[in-house]
Amino acid sequence: MNLADVRFSDHDRVVVARVTGEVDLSNAESIESAITEATPNQALALILDVSALDYLDSAGIHLIYKLRERLRTRGQTLRLVIPAASPANDALRLAGVSQVVDTAQSLEAAMREFAEPDATRAQVPGQGSV
Amino acid sequence: MDSVTDGPPENRRRFAPRTGQTVLTPVEPALAPSEQVETLYRLSDPALSELGLNEFLDALLVRVRETLKVDTVAILLYDAATDELVARAAKGIEEEVEAGVRLPLGQGFAGRIAAERVAIFIPDVDHADILNPILRQKGIQSLLGIPLIVEGEMIGVLHVGSLRRREFGPRDLAVLQVAAARAAPGIERARLLSALEREHRVAMILQRSLLPKRLANVVGVETAARYLPASDEVGGDWYDVFELARGRLGVAIGDVVGHGVGAAALMGQLRTALHAYAMHDLGPAKTLELVDRYVQSMPDYAMATASYAVIEPDTGEVKIASAGHLPAIVVGRDGGRVVEIAPSAPLGAFSYGRVQEHELVVEPGETLVLYTDGLIERPGTPLTDSIEELVRVVHGPRSVEDLVLRAVEEMVPPGGLRDDMAIVAIQNREIDEELRLRLRADPKVLAEIRHLLRRWLRHQGANDSQTLEITLAVSEACTNAIEHAYSPAPAEFSLTATAGDGLLTFIVSDAGRWRAPRGHDRGRGLTIIRAAMDDVEVSASETGTEIVMQRRIAP
Repeated sequence: MNLADVRFSDHDRVVVARVTGEVDLSNAESIESAITEATPNQALALILDVSALDYLDSAGIHLIYKLRERLRTRGQTLRLVIPAASPANDALRLAGVSQVVDTAQSLEAAMREFAEPDATRAQVPGQGSV
Repeated sequence: MDSVTDGPPENRRRFAPRTGQTVLTPVEPALAPSEQVETLYRLSDPALSELGLNEFLDALLVRVRETLKVDTVAILLYDAATDELVARAAKGIEEEVEAGVRLPLGQGFAGRIAAERVAIFIPDVDHADILNPILRQKGIQSLLGIPLIVEGEMIGVLHVGSLRRREFGPRDLAVLQVAAARAAPGIERARLLSALEREHRVAMILQRSLLPKRLANVVGVETAARYLPASDEVGGDWYDVFELARGRLGVAIGDVVGHGVGAAALMGQLRTALHAYAMHDLGPAKTLELVDRYVQSMPDYAMATASYAVIEPDTGEVKIASAGHLPAIVVGRDGGRVVEIAPSAPLGAFSYGRVQEHELVVEPGETLVLYTDGLIERPGTPLTDSIEELVRVVHGPRSVEDLVLRAVEEMVPPGGLRDDMAIVAIQNREIDEELRLRLRADPKVLAEIRHLLRRWLRHQGANDSQTLEITLAVSEACTNAIEHAYSPAPAEFSLTATAGDGLLTFIVSDAGRWRAPRGHDRGRGLTIIRAAMDDVEVSASETGTEIVMQRRIAP
């Protein structure tokens, strides 16, 4: 049994990665590469949903930083979904970095941020949505 | 050769002799009384019955050869699948068996004996209709053969041969008949047995291969299980223990209605279906409902009972559901209880069946036991009494392996089981007052450490947020120790946790040197530790690094 699971879904040019389980030193690197692999170059943004994550520590926070840097070099945006009352948020708070990354309280809120441009692009021929 | 017979009617039929063959009619033994006794003894020695089929046929043929003073003796058995005779045992013409000689029914010497159920005497092989070339190659001159018949069924042919021309007479025929009468039932029994044994063996192998080779292992619980087949047949009982996300354990048990290879195969399908649905983590009730839909979708009628439980070792919380299965029991040091839940209908019983889910807590030291009816079914004893007896037999302070062993020893009747049975036991381990662990410096141990800590913290009375913060801090300290381990040998580090007057103290020490944090990310672990704990001391020396952390959880 893997300590964590990552499930992806594509919403036009936004990729949602939902991580569940626990992220620590043993799996942070493989999760990061799985997410990077699953995010195509033409994607606008990655929404990393850790609202159902049971455990996150400095290894996981390191992952988020690295992921953000990697996406930035591709001109892509990282948005974290972290509700205030969640183990992931507690870790960010204790590490003193809760203000450093852009977060949304819920997946719906994060999706709304990217909804407008997606809707217009969906009209362009040859760029049909899923 | 025209003596009156008292053999079975089919033996009395007479056939027109073919070229070179003489059909003989079975005769009253034409032996002198003492000779008869001697012959009967040689061929009916009870010691022969103790032998396996091969040894038995071997010994019998040797005695026939000595008694009749013949050069060759052979037994061919009838293979109904191909309608052929197959050489099974031989003396003097062992080549026949080695070559795996197969002869069609109805033709040749042995083929006619079998097809027409008559004894045949061939005085001169050179002038007879013989199919088997080995007989000629051996230089056999004269042959005498009779059919082997059991309860009206022809099962083969017994024949003897002589290298010099010989007139086989009524005495020879009589001896051969005694030998045939002796051999035939033994062969038939052995043949039936081996067919049954083969099926039983196949079913057993199937059953075993469908059960888990080893049980999943998660921190905080001990597991043990057994499957025992019924004394004569395999059935469709199964169990399964697998790991779920967040260090939880899934435990399933079930019983397919029916017996034999079919039930075992269906069991394999249901075990796989349940395990696969369980991976979706929808909880026991929904999982069983999915298995029920799966059973409903099968083309053939199938029904089974099953129970599925999800155990949270950190807290001892159990979610359990039952589809017509017997109630689980929880036993501890001083007794036990039956988990009284309203069982839902068996899998496959009704369309759109709903399964109820129940919750219970298995305290540290207690054991959840799931079993099938084979373990407790006694003729004339109500099931509820048997379940109470099971509780009585297995309760008390004992390891989970011992518990399962005791259940089998005490509950399985001496003569073996009438039905197959499965038992699986999950023990919530006792929690130590102090943790003193030596751990491999391997990131994989971190998750185990957190499970151990959560159990220990709960035991010490920490609330949810205290548990979360302390677990995070100690895990960070252990992460540091693992990252510092750079010796080529498998490195270790230690973790101790002690409690006194609401103050918890944790010490993580390794033999590595404290590494200066690299970049702005690497110091984050220590930041978290300092934020989560009341007091933190890091002492680094030539011999190693030690982090002492304290946190007050009660005033």
